[in-house]
Amino acid sequence: MSVAVELRHISKRFPGVIANKDVSMSVETGTVHALVGENGAGKSTVMKILYGMQRPDSGEILVNGTAVHFKNPNDAIDASIGMVHQHFMLADNFTVLENVILGSEPRHGITIDFAAARAKVVEMAAQYGLEIDPDVLVEELGVGQRQRVEILKVLYRGARILIFDEPTAVLVPQEVDDLFNALKGLRAQGMAIIFISHKLDEVLRVADDVTVVRAGSTVAQVKSKDVTARQLAELMVGSELPQPSTHGDTRRPEVTLALKDVSIPTQSGSRDLISHVTFNLHAGEVVGIAGVEGNGQAELVEAIMGLREYTGVIEFSGSDMNHLSVAHRRDLGIGLIPEDRQRQAMMMESPLWENRILGHQRGKPVMNGFVLDKKSTIADTKAIMEEFDVRAPGPQTLAAALSGGNQQKFIVGREMSKAPLLLVASHPTRGVDVGAQGAIWEELRRAREKGMAIVLISADLEELIGMSDRLLVMLRGVMTAELDPAKTTPEQLGSAMTGAA
Amino acid sequence: MKTKALKFLRYATMLVFVLTVIRQITGATDLTSVGTASAALLLSVPIVLAGLGGLFSERSGVVNIGLEGMMVMGAWAGGMIGTKHGPWIGLIAAIFFGGVGALVHAIATITFGVDHVVSGVAINIIAMGLVRYLSTLLYKSGSWLGPSQSPDVNSIPTNSLPILSGGQYFGWKSPDLLGSLAEKHWFFISDLAAILRGITGDLSYVTVIAMAMVPLSLFVLWKTAFGLRLRSAGEAPIAAESLGVNVYAMKYAGVLISGALAGLGGGFLAIVAANHYQENQVAGRGYIGLAALLFGNYRPGGILMGAGLFGFADALQLRDSASVHALILLIVVVLVGLVVRDVRKGKIVKAVLTLAFAGLSLWYFLAVDELPGQLVTMTPYIATLLIMSLASQRLRMPAADGIPYRRGGLR
Repeated sequence: MSVAVELRHISKRFPGVIANKDVSMSVETGTVHALVGENGAGKSTVMKILYGMQRPDSGEILVNGTAVHFKNPNDAIDASIGMVHQHFMLADNFTVLENVILGSEPRHGITIDFAAARAKVVEMAAQYGLEIDPDVLVEELGVGQRQRVEILKVLYRGARILIFDEPTAVLVPQEVDDLFNALKGLRAQGMAIIFISHKLDEVLRVADDVTVVRAGSTVAQVKSKDVTARQLAELMVGSELPQPSTHGDTRRPEVTLALKDVSIPTQSGSRDLISHVTFNLHAGEVVGIAGVEGNGQAELVEAIMGLREYTGVIEFSGSDMNHLSVAHRRDLGIGLIPEDRQRQAMMMESPLWENRILGHQRGKPVMNGFVLDKKSTIADTKAIMEEFDVRAPGPQTLAAALSGGNQQKFIVGREMSKAPLLLVASHPTRGVDVGAQGAIWEELRRAREKGMAIVLISADLEELIGMSDRLLVMLRGVMTAELDPAKTTPEQLGSAMTGAA
Repeated sequence: MKTKALKFLRYATMLVFVLTVIRQITGATDLTSVGTASAALLLSVPIVLAGLGGLFSERSGVVNIGLEGMMVMGAWAGGMIGTKHGPWIGLIAAIFFGGVGALVHAIATITFGVDHVVSGVAINIIAMGLVRYLSTLLYKSGSWLGPSQSPDVNSIPTNSLPILSGGQYFGWKSPDLLGSLAEKHWFFISDLAAILRGITGDLSYVTVIAMAMVPLSLFVLWKTAFGLRLRSAGEAPIAAESLGVNVYAMKYAGVLISGALAGLGGGFLAIVAANHYQENQVAGRGYIGLAALLFGNYRPGGILMGAGLFGFADALQLRDSASVHALILLIVVVLVGLVVRDVRKGKIVKAVLTLAFAGLSLWYFLAVDELPGQLVTMTPYIATLLIMSLASQRLRMPAADGIPYRRGGLR
């Protein structure tokens, strides 16, 4: 087998940051080569350099054995390199065919030869197992099919080396299977495929070779059949993986949160969304709520925060807070990490310092009397970013520009900044990379030791078992069991959640 | 494509039939006369051109409120140059001056990223001030009779569709079949013939050229590589850039074509519709062109229909205020048609509202014998507003229309 692409000692620095330092990898034809690394490790920069979107400061790129210097993506396309972008580059109001041929249209006199283009696209689609109707509008297609269009676009331009930038991030499992079948088909046709991902199980399923990047440098190139997901993960973070765990018993006698017979009836009057939930939460205690999603956890959070009408009593530090608004509850010292950070916790198109204000708009350091104190807000945002290791250029950066892990760290930092007495954490480490996961666990541990009470909701059973002092199992809105995490395995917890045990 | 054309013919015939019936009921003969159809066409042309101008610009992703100003520049240049060098050179000057206005808009919005609406409004204001200033200079130098009106421009000859509508071809006088049919006063057949005679007879050559722009735009935008790339700049510029399309060039092309068409529309007003330039000649037709563009859902055929509707209403109010009164009955019929459609689709609330409005219109038609004059003058604008509010339900504007674009969005 011959080498399709080889990167030798590529380095790239941006003002203030070194994005890549001594990156080397070699991709053989007829293989799927995965490039893995944490968010921000420099995977994307490597690929942008290979695709001609950025130029390396030093090092060289060889395509099929000859050195190349790309000025822009067109040069890369000419060298038969194609990129399937993570965010699709498609015109919704164009047909599949129009999207595929745009920029290199077959001509027939002065008109576009649509018949020839259609024939070619249909033939290609059949050849690579990417069947699609060329005359349907892209806006009518699902995500998986849109990705097919992207792949067809690249193939139509004669690419033999395909770069996939986190292709599975937007797909549902069924679509992932289809994509992987397509990748195998392309590999069988002698294409070289570079697959960027941080989902290690997927990488091991589809890739032949794996290159690991950490902090801008390649640290290993291995055969996927020789490694486990855990080994890859440790290569990615450069140390042992963080473990969700707590030390000792930090429970204090005072009860921070008490729910007494809390129910949320549905409007239709059928089964309650949550029914007669009663539990006490002490200061310095973490109570984990386990349950298959949609069994009332989200509604429980909304009841505690005052976002939803409920019956029964919720007490905070011994006093009834049934009639308090969300703002009052937050003022008392309740913090919230919502389950969907992009929709419920952030304004994606606003800078971080404005996001700092959310939920804290009623006091210092955001407000100075009736006036918004921008200066101190920005200073405080900077402090949060430093303390919680939020990797972004500064408080003026748009939230959308941050990786998921950094967004989540920022949200955790924002909620912790007021040192709340109670934190409601809904899936605090969902969709974040391992580094950020470890950092968030560490923050929760520290806060717990200082006496904060935490309601932890998670779908990650190891996280629940490791972080909680007590586990409550929720099934169809009812607390069905209380378990001691020290004596519970993920398997036992899983069967309790489904009601099998 | 074939079925679409058939559908269009069917609806058009139905519309003429309804008009005939209303003419019969109300006695408003001008509803279907040769003169009305002919005037409607003449009044539609500048709006079609403005609408097509908007089409090219907005399909490339640049909102062009400045159409009005570009038309003003075109009209002024048509009058000023046409007076000296004849009507054809005047029209070319109109196209050029419209293009100059568009170039300013393009530089501001595409190169410097100015908000499209701000730039467009600025162009409208500047254009009006500029032509007034230049006209005053010409008046003072003695070449113009007044500061608001140019001397007369020679007219461009007219001709008709051979055999059907008469006309002169190389000294041969063609028969006028439709014209004689229109005078027979046969129910429906004469009405249809009159309308056809109106839109095919005594046409200025410029009218023919302007109307040819409709299928030409359709061809350029949907059948050529240039058109596909231009539209891609308005739909997904970053995707287009990633495929090697020069988005800036496409946007410049779109805006410049836009200005040229708008300028031609202005020149048409000065040289064909009138025989001199006059201040306020454009009178908001650039904006109405934009309305026709929206009504036509960013497609050339739709623009033609929107402009035709406006032209028809405008022609009626100019010729005969009594037939505007009859027009209310047409509105009732259209509304009832919409009610039937809504009921079939199960949109009961909307159907009831439309029905109530239809009832109100009918009552007004029966209760009032003659419309107040102010209302009559407003007819075309009211018709535009009404149709816009009824038709603009499934508007699909280019996805990246009006969004400033910077090269390198890929990074």
